[in-house]
Amino acid sequence: MSLTESQAVFASVHENALNDVLTAFCTDRPRYLVYGSPAFVPATTIAETGMAAIAFPGIAGGIQWRVRLSIPRIDLFKQTMTLPPELALGPGQFSVRLGAEICLDCGRIRIDPKPPRGHDTKPDDREPNRPLPGTPKPDDRHPLREVTCCKLEVFAIGHIEHVLTSSGEDAITLVPDAVEIVDIKPDEVESVLECLLFMILQAVLGQIRLPLKSLRAGAFSLTLTEGPLIEDDQVKVRGAF
Amino acid sequence: MAEITAALDEGGANTLLADAIATIGTQTKSGSGSLGPFIANYTVQGTLTSGTVDLIPPDTIRIANLRLDWQLDFDFGIDLSTILPDFCLPQVCVDIPCVGTVCTPKICVDWPTITVPVSFGDFVKVTVDTKLDIALSGGKWRVQAVVLGVPNLQFGATTALLLAAIGAAVTPVLLAVPFIGPFLAIAVDAILATIAIAGVTGFLGPIITPFVSGLKFLIYEQPQQFEVLPADGPVDPKVDITIDTVDCVVAHNGTEDELVLTADISP
Repeated sequence: MSLTESQAVFASVHENALNDVLTAFCTDRPRYLVYGSPAFVPATTIAETGMAAIAFPGIAGGIQWRVRLSIPRIDLFKQTMTLPPELALGPGQFSVRLGAEICLDCGRIRIDPKPPRGHDTKPDDREPNRPLPGTPKPDDRHPLREVTCCKLEVFAIGHIEHVLTSSGEDAITLVPDAVEIVDIKPDEVESVLECLLFMILQAVLGQIRLPLKSLRAGAFSLTLTEGPLIEDDQVKVRGAF
Repeated sequence: MAEITAALDEGGANTLLADAIATIGTQTKSGSGSLGPFIANYTVQGTLTSGTVDLIPPDTIRIANLRLDWQLDFDFGIDLSTILPDFCLPQVCVDIPCVGTVCTPKICVDWPTITVPVSFGDFVKVTVDTKLDIALSGGKWRVQAVVLGVPNLQFGATTALLLAAIGAAVTPVLLAVPFIGPFLAIAVDAILATIAIAGVTGFLGPIITPFVSGLKFLIYEQPQQFEVLPADGPVDPKVDITIDTVDCVVAHNGTEDELVLTADISP
């Protein structure tokens, strides 16, 4: 079988090259891997993407958070990277492995003893906020502010889709179909975290659009008619010249 | 296994080479050459227009019926000394009484060279074998098909009319020469008649061959620092990869011959 088959042009990129392009993207534009609210990321720069805090009643400024991802490592079918037993890499799929660090700025909220805004305030001799018997001493309480982080090893499988870049070029993007985080108990917590990272990965990887031209090192012009397909550890495309 | 592979079938290679030929455009050369006993200073323009690609493993691209349309503008020089014998008036001495002997100087006629402008155009077809040349130069990777050797030119049928064109241009000029003009015209026409097509191709061959010999057709050119994505605002700089190696071969895959380019990259 010829490479071009019934088409005039064929191009393929091996998973090693795909990882090289992905590494180049994440190295040159690291902000696509780091997201955080103002306490962590005051402004969007090349290094980080600034986001809003999670609004919640009673928490001034909202819940401050940061998600930091490592550079994803891709394995194209056939499987060469070990996956958790919950995931199986099928034909036409890729798997991805990456680290994720989720941080919260965990703070103690001082309860305002005054009545909530809008209520009448009449002077009286009561003393709100006086420690009740059995209340922990200040030293035993949660620190006023403490950055709390967890690091997770994330695995996912997915497929690739044909998309366009901002300049209208043919490109591919990686679309996760399932995410697995191993060894978290109880299972419900694992499911919640997997759901969170599934959404994050879809959004992050969806923004990384790799032009097909770069995946064939600029060789030969190609009007896409077949693919992109994942086979033999490669992404393959065919088309007219 | 190569990290990146791109392949083109013969149909695609035909289109690629047609584009490469078109980008060469019109070439111009000047010089001088001999046509029989005559010398011509010329300016010639050549334009490549077509050809059929045959991919031959492992590294040959044959371009059959590559057509070069050429237009030759030249000054055809006729040195009359090569036609007419040297003509001298001999010295004559006369004895004059009371004066002595008086002699006239010997006078020789130096026959001039007559220059006649001639324009002529035709085409030539040639089949050339090219080899793949891969180089990293000036920060760019280039793959070119380079014509090897000196090709055998197949001149068009009308090329033989070059002699008639010269004769048509020269005859009225020579006829205008007083007294001996008609004889000169007959003499030059007789010489042209002896040159024949072999002489024409011997004259045109060295002029036309450089348009084809050593020709390079560009197949691939990319900077070693290859831009994956351009800059897209202040927080999204451009993304580059490095093309570390490039190779190109003609491969027989299945039932097809294909031009296969491979590359390895790094972030």
